[in-house]
Amino acid sequence: MTQRHILLVDDEPHVTRVLRLTLEKAGYVVTVAHDGHAALACMAAQLPDVLISDIQMDGMDGRTLCPLARKTYPDHDFLILVMTSMTALEERNWARALHNTDFLEKPLSPRQLVARLAKHFAASGAIA
Amino acid sequence: MKLNRIGIALIASALAVIALVVILLIVRQQTSRANEVRAKGVSLARSLSTVPAGMLAGGAPGLSVLNTLFAYQDNGDLAYAAITDAGGRTLGDVAGRGTFVPGAALPPGAGAAFGQRTLPAAEGGRALIEFYGPLADRSQGQAFVRVGFYQPGYAVLARDVSFLALLALMMFLLVPLVYVVIKREMAPLDALGRQLRQLGDTGSAHRESARDVRELVGSMQAYLQFASSRIAQLEHGSLNATADNQVLQYGSKKLTAALQSLPDGLLMLAPGGLVTFASDKVEPLLGIAVDAILEQPVDAWCRDPALRTLLGRYTNTQRDTLHAHSVDFTPANVEGKYLSATVQPLTGAHGAMAFGTLVVLRDVTREQLARQAGNDFVAHVSHELKSPLNVIGMYAETLADADAGDETLRVESLNVIQDEIERMNALVGNLLNVSKLETGSMSPERNRVRLDDLLRDAYEHALPRAEGRQLRVDLDLPRELEAVAIDKDLFRIALNNLLTNAIKYNRPGGSVLLSARNEDHEIVISVRDTGIGIAAADRERVFDKFYRVSERDAQAARGGHGLGLYLAAQIVELHHGRIVLDSEPGVGSTFSIHLNIVPAATGVVTL
Repeated sequence: MTQRHILLVDDEPHVTRVLRLTLEKAGYVVTVAHDGHAALACMAAQLPDVLISDIQMDGMDGRTLCPLARKTYPDHDFLILVMTSMTALEERNWARALHNTDFLEKPLSPRQLVARLAKHFAASGAIA
Repeated sequence: MKLNRIGIALIASALAVIALVVILLIVRQQTSRANEVRAKGVSLARSLSTVPAGMLAGGAPGLSVLNTLFAYQDNGDLAYAAITDAGGRTLGDVAGRGTFVPGAALPPGAGAAFGQRTLPAAEGGRALIEFYGPLADRSQGQAFVRVGFYQPGYAVLARDVSFLALLALMMFLLVPLVYVVIKREMAPLDALGRQLRQLGDTGSAHRESARDVRELVGSMQAYLQFASSRIAQLEHGSLNATADNQVLQYGSKKLTAALQSLPDGLLMLAPGGLVTFASDKVEPLLGIAVDAILEQPVDAWCRDPALRTLLGRYTNTQRDTLHAHSVDFTPANVEGKYLSATVQPLTGAHGAMAFGTLVVLRDVTREQLARQAGNDFVAHVSHELKSPLNVIGMYAETLADADAGDETLRVESLNVIQDEIERMNALVGNLLNVSKLETGSMSPERNRVRLDDLLRDAYEHALPRAEGRQLRVDLDLPRELEAVAIDKDLFRIALNNLLTNAIKYNRPGGSVLLSARNEDHEIVISVRDTGIGIAAADRERVFDKFYRVSERDAQAARGGHGLGLYLAAQIVELHHGRIVLDSEPGVGSTFSIHLNIVPAATGVVTL
């Protein structure tokens, strides 16, 4: 079985560092991008199985990146996980409107994220 | 009664006229008789004087001229005819029955001319008029002819009595004719009088109709008096009504002015839903001209569904609500405004009367923006607190799961956790300071300090953050910097906030310059950046609490919580200094703090 590819987008180096360590330990291939533009460049090179993105970032933010990624690759049905600490409803609405997209509540638990991904890939693998 | 009096007056005047006419006729007749006697006497005397004396009185008795004359006299007014000498002695005479030739002597001069004289009546006789003259043949003035006539008497009038009576009767007959004519002519006047009396209501309703012009005039006067008093009464009433009307108008105008001067927009709706009043303030609030609202139903002008729905509850027939209701909405015709509409029924005493509905439109944009800013602030503060918490949580988990041998990761984790705790601490500190500043419980401890160390410290603190963003930070200090009296801890917050802003809103590859210089009585500390700059519209509000630059620059504003500059400005103000902003969009901004120099002689400053 080939290794699953995770694209991690956040401008907070501490966050990406911890998550990269954790995910790599769990057996995933991790690519890190610091904003939306970088993320799109990474996707052009290699499409991820899961896109994990923060919302607030310098450069292109998550709110722009996620719909754009969906639009750019309509045939590639990958999971999008949005990391958010926002409580405002409107910040959630745009993500809900997006297909195959879910939230990751901050503060984020790396352990829970690993469990979540394992469950996702188990389910999609079963269907496949 | 009055007509009867007129009749009597007519009869009396008719009789008077008759008497006057009779008297005039008699006088005229007398005069003409007298003239007739005189003419006859003169002509007789003259004609007899030419006849010879012998023929006059001589001859056979009864055949003389005088006798003949007497025999043929027509009406018997000839009293006598005689021939006498100057002494009055009769030479021959003829006289009427019972009449004697008076023996009076002729007056002197009778022989030269004819004359006449009046002789008094003899006893039991009548007065006479005598005509005399000398005889022509024996003209030595010895013989005279004398002819006497009776004075014309009233007896002759008896002949004319019947004529006079007929005349009087005819005149008298005119009286009833005039009476009838007057009565007939009076009839319309009489009726008019009766009407006037009824109109005037003088209290004698049952009096008979007017009988003379005086009463008519009286009625007329009474009526005119009544009419004029009534007119005066009406004029007075009209004057009062005008005054009342003006007082009402004044009151109405005053009320309208008061309503117009209210800061809120007012609308009044009739029970049917038509707008009966709209104050001028409504126009800028709703973006609809007042003229387009007045006398119009709500559906005709209202573009705002929320307001229309609310008004509909009051204008429908059910009137399901008797209480005030409010709704907040953004008007469709005005950009960026928030309105609050409060609608309440207008009722009279005890709710018995419904005058319609009062709508108060209030501009709540400021409140709404403040509330929004507050909400945003809470969201951002939450985010600012959650981000370090997030990192701390993840590292804590990593620490727990880390292999015992991975020392590098353990140290890194602990360092990161410590950094993040400091970051949270700074934010919480800022929040507390803001809170203290606002409640006035912050009292700065001002000490005379040299700024060099403080500025150098702030500079070094900013360096790592700037390097993370590829920014250069420079420090430019003069050799000597005057002393100022400040609260070191507070001032550090202000400086850090300015530097944080300069880094946050800069562009990649840009720079930040922290400098200070001495000026007259002042030290000026400047923080200059090469960032996006601040638009003129934002400059005034940039020091406002929770204010963040407009959405256009939101990308750059991310992470700001709208407290940094506010807090810096408040702290500088607390030090009796001032903060000045100089900015050019696209080039950069310079924030300058001006502080008063503390004279060296005073040493420690106490305030």
